[in-house]
Amino acid sequence: MTNTEHPSPATPVLTIENYSLDYETANGPFHALKNIDLAISRGEILGLVGESGSGKTSLAWSIMRYLPKNAREPGGRILLGSDNLLEKAEREMETFRGRRISMVFQDPSTSLNPTLSLGKQLAEVLVRHRGLSWQQAWTEGEARLAHVGLKTPAQMMHRMPHEASGGEKQRVVIASAFACNPECIIFDEPTTALDVITSRQILDLFVELQAETGVASLYISHDLALVARTAGRVAVIKRGEIVEQGTVRDIFTNPQQDYTRELINAVPDPARRLVNDDVAPTEKPLVEVEKVSVHFGRKPFLSALTGRKTERVTGNNAISLSISPGEILGIVGESGSGKSTLAKAMTGLNRFEGKIRFEGREIRNLGDMDNAYRKDVQIIFQHPDASLNPRQKIFEILSRPLKLFGDASDLERQVGDMLEQVRLPRTHANRYPHQLSGGEKQRVAIARAFASKPKLVICDEITSALDVSVQASVVELLLELQKASGTAYLFITHDLNLIRQIAHRIAVMYRGDLIEVVKASEIDSPDRAEYTRRLIEAVPRAAAQYQ
Amino acid sequence: MIDFTKRLLKTPQGAIGIFLVVFVLLVVVFGPLVAPHDPEKLSPLARYKGPSLTYWLGTDQYGRDIFSRLLIGARATVVMAVLATIVGTLIGALIGTASAFLGGRADELIMRTIDAVMSIPSLLFALLVVNLLGSSTVNALVAVAIAFAPGMARITRSVALSARKQDYVNAAVARGESAGYIIRREMLPNVIAPIIVEMTIRVSFAVMLFATLSFLGLGAQPPAAEWGLMVSEARRYMHLSAGILIWPSVAIAIVAVGFNLLGDGLRDALNPRA
Amino acid sequence: MIVYTLFVVSLIVFAITQVLPADAAVMMLGENATQEALDALRATMGLNAPIWQQYLTWLWHVVQGDLGTSLRTGQPVGPVMFEALGRSLLLAFLSIGLMLVLAIPLGIIAAIRRGKVADMVVSLISYAGVALPEFVTATVAVLFFADWLKWLPPTGYVPLTEDFSRGIAHLVLPVCVISIILIAHVSRMVRSELVDVLHTDYIRAARLKGISRGQVLRRHALRNALLPTITIVALDVGYLLGGVIVVEEIFAIPGIGRQLIVAIQARDLPAIQAGVLIMAATYSIVNFIADILYAWLDKRIQYD
Repeated sequence: MTNTEHPSPATPVLTIENYSLDYETANGPFHALKNIDLAISRGEILGLVGESGSGKTSLAWSIMRYLPKNAREPGGRILLGSDNLLEKAEREMETFRGRRISMVFQDPSTSLNPTLSLGKQLAEVLVRHRGLSWQQAWTEGEARLAHVGLKTPAQMMHRMPHEASGGEKQRVVIASAFACNPECIIFDEPTTALDVITSRQILDLFVELQAETGVASLYISHDLALVARTAGRVAVIKRGEIVEQGTVRDIFTNPQQDYTRELINAVPDPARRLVNDDVAPTEKPLVEVEKVSVHFGRKPFLSALTGRKTERVTGNNAISLSISPGEILGIVGESGSGKSTLAKAMTGLNRFEGKIRFEGREIRNLGDMDNAYRKDVQIIFQHPDASLNPRQKIFEILSRPLKLFGDASDLERQVGDMLEQVRLPRTHANRYPHQLSGGEKQRVAIARAFASKPKLVICDEITSALDVSVQASVVELLLELQKASGTAYLFITHDLNLIRQIAHRIAVMYRGDLIEVVKASEIDSPDRAEYTRRLIEAVPRAAAQYQ
Repeated sequence: MIDFTKRLLKTPQGAIGIFLVVFVLLVVVFGPLVAPHDPEKLSPLARYKGPSLTYWLGTDQYGRDIFSRLLIGARATVVMAVLATIVGTLIGALIGTASAFLGGRADELIMRTIDAVMSIPSLLFALLVVNLLGSSTVNALVAVAIAFAPGMARITRSVALSARKQDYVNAAVARGESAGYIIRREMLPNVIAPIIVEMTIRVSFAVMLFATLSFLGLGAQPPAAEWGLMVSEARRYMHLSAGILIWPSVAIAIVAVGFNLLGDGLRDALNPRA
Repeated sequence: MIVYTLFVVSLIVFAITQVLPADAAVMMLGENATQEALDALRATMGLNAPIWQQYLTWLWHVVQGDLGTSLRTGQPVGPVMFEALGRSLLLAFLSIGLMLVLAIPLGIIAAIRRGKVADMVVSLISYAGVALPEFVTATVAVLFFADWLKWLPPTGYVPLTEDFSRGIAHLVLPVCVISIILIAHVSRMVRSELVDVLHTDYIRAARLKGISRGQVLRRHALRNALLPTITIVALDVGYLLGGVIVVEEIFAIPGIGRQLIVAIQARDLPAIQAGVLIMAATYSIVNFIADILYAWLDKRIQYD
């Protein structure tokens, strides 16, 4: 080992000097990164925060020297220790990757080969870089898995990826990254694909390992709150340029740039309530859900002959709740908790058992959901790409509910008004969905829902697929509309911070069961159910410590 | 429309494909008018001639001009193939959509049956049908259409199912739209594109299947100028003049490749996102 | 599942052939036979029973192994068909073998050298292969190799057990012709699968662990890309069977395809029924085996 491999603390482990990256496209060069200057020292965690399209992932590929064919590098240097990576041939880079610098990816279900055992994928790094035999690598691998907190390492080595949970898989990926004691590790949004509680565990693991080994870490994320929890310094990147960098404390207490301020403000802070708590509990609730259950699964055709047992999965288990007129009821839970299932049952997309009462009328199944019900109960979906028909113009998409539920006269003017109401230009009516951005499409979906002047709008994770800043503006729009029209919302999300800002009451769901329904202000009281308390604890809250 | 054509021409497959297919269609429409000689005219003295100024591609075993015969034969081969594919697609699409719509047990039953039917290779199936109905051009068309129907049913069903799963269909259901509206306005426009792509590619298979049937004596009958038949007849005389064999083969290849490439090109051009 | 398939196939076969206007009795005795003779024959052949009864009788016989008697030769259909099947299977296996040896490496090369010359060449070959029906390739091949170059015999069949080298010489052209379409198909599939696999996140993750290109290809990519190939090859057996019919006709190889053509032209019902049933059964069995093989190899899939 030469001196350069473990530099003295004074020399940063990773230095990026005035580095730029372009992609050659049919429309000319696209400037993905412009004059990036960053440095990470031994033992340090640098957070890189940016939204989608900011170039943060491109930077990771540049560092690892794994760029597509149309990438051009007009200038700059990337130094690992004192080695300029830009000058290294591919062969040499292959010896660096995994050994001197490694990476942890976002989604463990796609970054692990589904047809190889977890052990094989961990051991191969050891065989490759530390010259161990497969036998030795396997044993070492087991030790590593134990080190990352897996309970049965020997068994886990033999498991296939689909036989392990998201959290377990990510631990294996982390173990592989740390396996050869690299100088630097890049973490690319490693908790985005995991649920809240598991994310917290993985984050804690990362912090522990990093403190133990002193590896220089680049932590890439879109989540400022998360980064603030873990990093010492933060760099904010927007459209390929570093907008601001500094210690976490400085950035939060004294942000210099507008964009940084925007990002900080966009992070949902449960301490800042955005609604008034003055929804009087009326005697007549708008909607009552009584012991609604949803089951999935049906017998396959020949099961009677083959005698195979059929599994019925329970999506919702006897859920009962109510919503008052004008109230915002939030539903939180992990994926698989049944929140969307309930939403779909209420709009007739799932068959259910039990009763739903709307304004006193009983709804027992799809047939009871008549035109009047449809007019008053609307739903907005999570993915704006999928919820707008790609072959219909915006005009057609928005005029349809008007024709069904409202006044079909002067559609052009009405559609134009609707677009303005959601802060989109009137001319968007002539466009197709693929010509709009994600945030714009979601606004159209919102406009569509409000076209019939409904009494209840169900929002099914409508901000989860959006960037933080876009999310903030969409939420603002929703609250504005609510004030103007007095519509009740059933707001489904997994973002606890967000729901604490905007909901009057919060319902917590877990694996198909309704755990409890409480007033938003009481969600963090110690009287809460155990699951609720675990959830609250697991969620990172950035600003609190700095205000 | 202009936008669409531009996109089609962007890919090499689309450009070459549309060029070839348009060329073929022109031949189909104008071929017989442009033919320099009467394709049926026998000239015993001019047999087995190679390409020349009078006979552009040479003559066949009866002294008929090969070029003119090819032009005539385009109608027999191409038109029949296209028609057969369209009919087969319509039947298949109906079955596939119905199956996707019905769902549940009915869907499973229909699909298992289709799978079973598809275990008879298409050529074999076509042979059986022709055997049943008698050997002629029209019957061959029917045979090919029926042979293609199950495959198209499968594809239609899978496309319909994936369209059904999309949230915009869910949004329509949540609005209380009728089944008719959903199928017509929400699903169909998104289903048609992949079907057209598949159909275009199938035309090339239909051309080959049709030609094979004629080759085996079970499709077009002499003295029709169908290309497959021309190749079959050429076998006996090919050592006297290779052209009799080569030119119809080239014609078949051009049509098959053309539609194949066009299908590939359409696949990209019809994608609304790209 | 496979039982249901065969059941449906038998129904189709029976239905299609039984709806023929030609009467089996008339075919056997000729047009000038007396009415009594015809009636007598019909009675013994069971042609007076209702259709569904005839079907069940036939099915019952089939299940016991009796595939009927040929109207043309008067001999039992079964043994002839199975013997012919044997020869066709030889042709088929050789073709598939040749295809695997050529198509897989071609597909891999095209995928690795995507966009470069090698890829274009392979693309061209596969487009050409797909654009030409078997009868064209076969006829051109005979013209070229048998007539002009005189390297190989044009038609005919010599059993391998009799004379190995001559037998092989007779098989070279037919096998190559059938293989061409298969190679075109499969190499395209292999290329497309491998290209998809090489773009996955897990391949990228493996490369970023420092595993070399060659090792990534061998250890990670190939197995994932080649697994679906099994399904494609099984499906292609359908094309193979169609090609076999044509090729046997052109090269005068006495396989099951040839038997079928002869039977169809002679309107020999039992032979047609048996032939189609055997071919369809072969296809179903091949797919069934492929499914099992696939499921066994891919530990992810739960065979449902």
